[in-house]
Amino acid sequence: MSEESDERSKFIKAYTAMVLSRTLDKKIMSAQRQGRVGFYTPTMGQEALQIGASMALESDDLIYGYYRDVPLMLHRGVPMENIINQIMGNSADEAKGRQMPSHYTAKAFHFMSVQSPVATNLPLAAGAAYAMVYQKKKSVVLTTFGDGSTSTPDFHAAMNLAGVFNLPVIFLCENNGWAISLPVEKQTKVEIWTKAEAYGIRGIRVNGNNFVETYNAVLEAVKRAREGKGATLIDAISFRMGPHSTSDDPTKYRSETVEEGSEKDPLVVTENILKGKKYIDDKMIDGIKTKAQKLVDDKFNECEKIKPPEPMTAFTDVYKNMTWMLKEEVEDIL
Amino acid sequence: MTEMNMVQALNSTLDLLMSKDSSVVLLGEDIGKDGGVFRVTDGLQAKYGPERVIDTPLVELGIVGMAIGMAVNGMKPIAEIQFQDFIYTAMDQIINQMAKIRYRSGGDYTVPMVLRTPYGGGIKGGLYHSQSGETYFAHTAGLTVVTPSNPYDAKGLLLSSMQLGDPVIFLEPKRLYRSIKNDVPDGEYTVPIGEAKKIREGNSISIITYGSMVPTVLSTVEKNNVDAEIIDLRTLLPMDLNAIMDTVKKTGRVMIVHEAPRTLGMGAEISAIISERAIDSLLGPILRVTGPDSPFPYRMEDYYLPNEKRIMKAVNKLMTFG
Ligand SMILES: Cc1ncc(C[n+]2csc(CCOP(=O)(O)OP(=O)(O)O)c2C)c(N)n1
Ligand SMILES: [Mg+2]
Repeated sequence: MSEESDERSKFIKAYTAMVLSRTLDKKIMSAQRQGRVGFYTPTMGQEALQIGASMALESDDLIYGYYRDVPLMLHRGVPMENIINQIMGNSADEAKGRQMPSHYTAKAFHFMSVQSPVATNLPLAAGAAYAMVYQKKKSVVLTTFGDGSTSTPDFHAAMNLAGVFNLPVIFLCENNGWAISLPVEKQTKVEIWTKAEAYGIRGIRVNGNNFVETYNAVLEAVKRAREGKGATLIDAISFRMGPHSTSDDPTKYRSETVEEGSEKDPLVVTENILKGKKYIDDKMIDGIKTKAQKLVDDKFNECEKIKPPEPMTAFTDVYKNMTWMLKEEVEDIL
Repeated sequence: MTEMNMVQALNSTLDLLMSKDSSVVLLGEDIGKDGGVFRVTDGLQAKYGPERVIDTPLVELGIVGMAIGMAVNGMKPIAEIQFQDFIYTAMDQIINQMAKIRYRSGGDYTVPMVLRTPYGGGIKGGLYHSQSGETYFAHTAGLTVVTPSNPYDAKGLLLSSMQLGDPVIFLEPKRLYRSIKNDVPDGEYTVPIGEAKKIREGNSISIITYGSMVPTVLSTVEKNNVDAEIIDLRTLLPMDLNAIMDTVKKTGRVMIVHEAPRTLGMGAEISAIISERAIDSLLGPILRVTGPDSPFPYRMEDYYLPNEKRIMKAVNKLMTFG
């Protein structure tokens, strides 16, 4: 394959994943309003930066992500059912319906199970990177988190550890400008990428709405990590187009928005990049969107028919072997 | 008197406290403009300004540590942790600072503050938006731990907590935030710290409970016509010893109901207190109906929470004992 057609197919794959993710996002949001889904944290606005990052990774690299990483997962090849089943908490969910929606697990894709307390995945990413080096594996670790998460002790601990031990970690800050109601200017007095310097690691800022820019930045960070040149903090500037979650009412605290389909929408940015390179035209765009809608509708309907988990699954996997206390309690409950 | 739910009662009490004393400030995540994710602080920043209703960066240990520093220096902070599940990053501040400053300074320094946080399940929050961690705090000398089960007690306990002069962990059962309404007096009154409330008279069996489980216990007992006495502890540290002893001696049959896991839950301490002091009054074993010793699940949360069926099973076991 020529270099150009290689890039073309990569970029079309990226755009297709973006459309798929956006379509799924909107489907889940509307299903939540109809009472078919309990809760959701939409990813609208962060598609380009996540997919740019995913493009730079190999399949055996590790991801310590967070609750908004649907686009990244879809691009990486995680089946859409994995995401929908998690959100429904049904018996086909990889984590057996135990976690609140948006808390994904996809072991086959090295996507670590997501927790709610923000940024507590970051020190784990440092540990995972240490393990890769120790075991002489070439894998690197990508960890993602929001701008709000940079205020936590975990963020600072992980950056320091990555610096001190020269670890192959890419810290990708999905800077969407908000932590629920707090704008990033009130979260921190400096730009997030500058925090890297204090820990002796590389820090850069990219336009997260431009997937090519993010891709190149992550690619460079991955290359350095693999070569033993240590960690990078990437501040990917983006915008949270939706509410924080389905429980949130952003009109209480912000007036600015990025409308879907506007020039700032990362999907439109991506379309313009691809059109500029003559990789895609309006007809192809329509085709991709139509296909995505059908796929999302079909998968959603299929997953919705799957039965809930057996009650017993609420109590297994606490340990390898169940304690006598829990055995007794389960007997009383079931 | 105004009829209110717990969110409204807490909101109006915070308003009352702030209007009377300029040293009272609130701090936490999303409490200002947004009014708190459960709306407990709604409207207060607009009224008192961002210097007194402080939207902090996302750092629980910072929120707690800063509040302690304020409290030591003449202010009366009321800090909020958005969900009790997220308080654990602040545990060092709570256990090693907040709880120990009076002691370690020979009584020179004190920490008059309240740390509010919603806890408990029943809102489909899964592992990290449902925990009942009261034992972690009740195991720490230097802390006072309270939990209201209704709007009236929420206001009374918050007013008492602010007068205490020591740090209070104020646990709000989020499942009951909007589900119960009470007539709440408009002015000041207190619900004394350390005082339980007998919320139902009965002769055959005593059920000791608190916080989120109180309505479940009450409705179960009433629906099944159980001749049960129900004690709502309201304060978990220190517990109301007299209220516990009186009811044990009266009925001789004791059950404890809480949502937190059984092992080393409050029920373990209550049971130990009773067996040390009133074993000769007992007509049967002290039974616990609690959450199981497992994390809190999402889809199957109804299996986790103690319910009518499990409470009645224990009631029947105890009533037919011997
Ligand atoms: C330790 C902790 N504190 C509080 C919360 C509640 N909470 C959930 S998301 C969130 C904001 C996170 O903002 P950011 O890190 O910018 O990520 P975003 O949601 O914007 O993607 C907060 C405060 C939490 N999940 N974990
Ligand atoms: Mg953010």
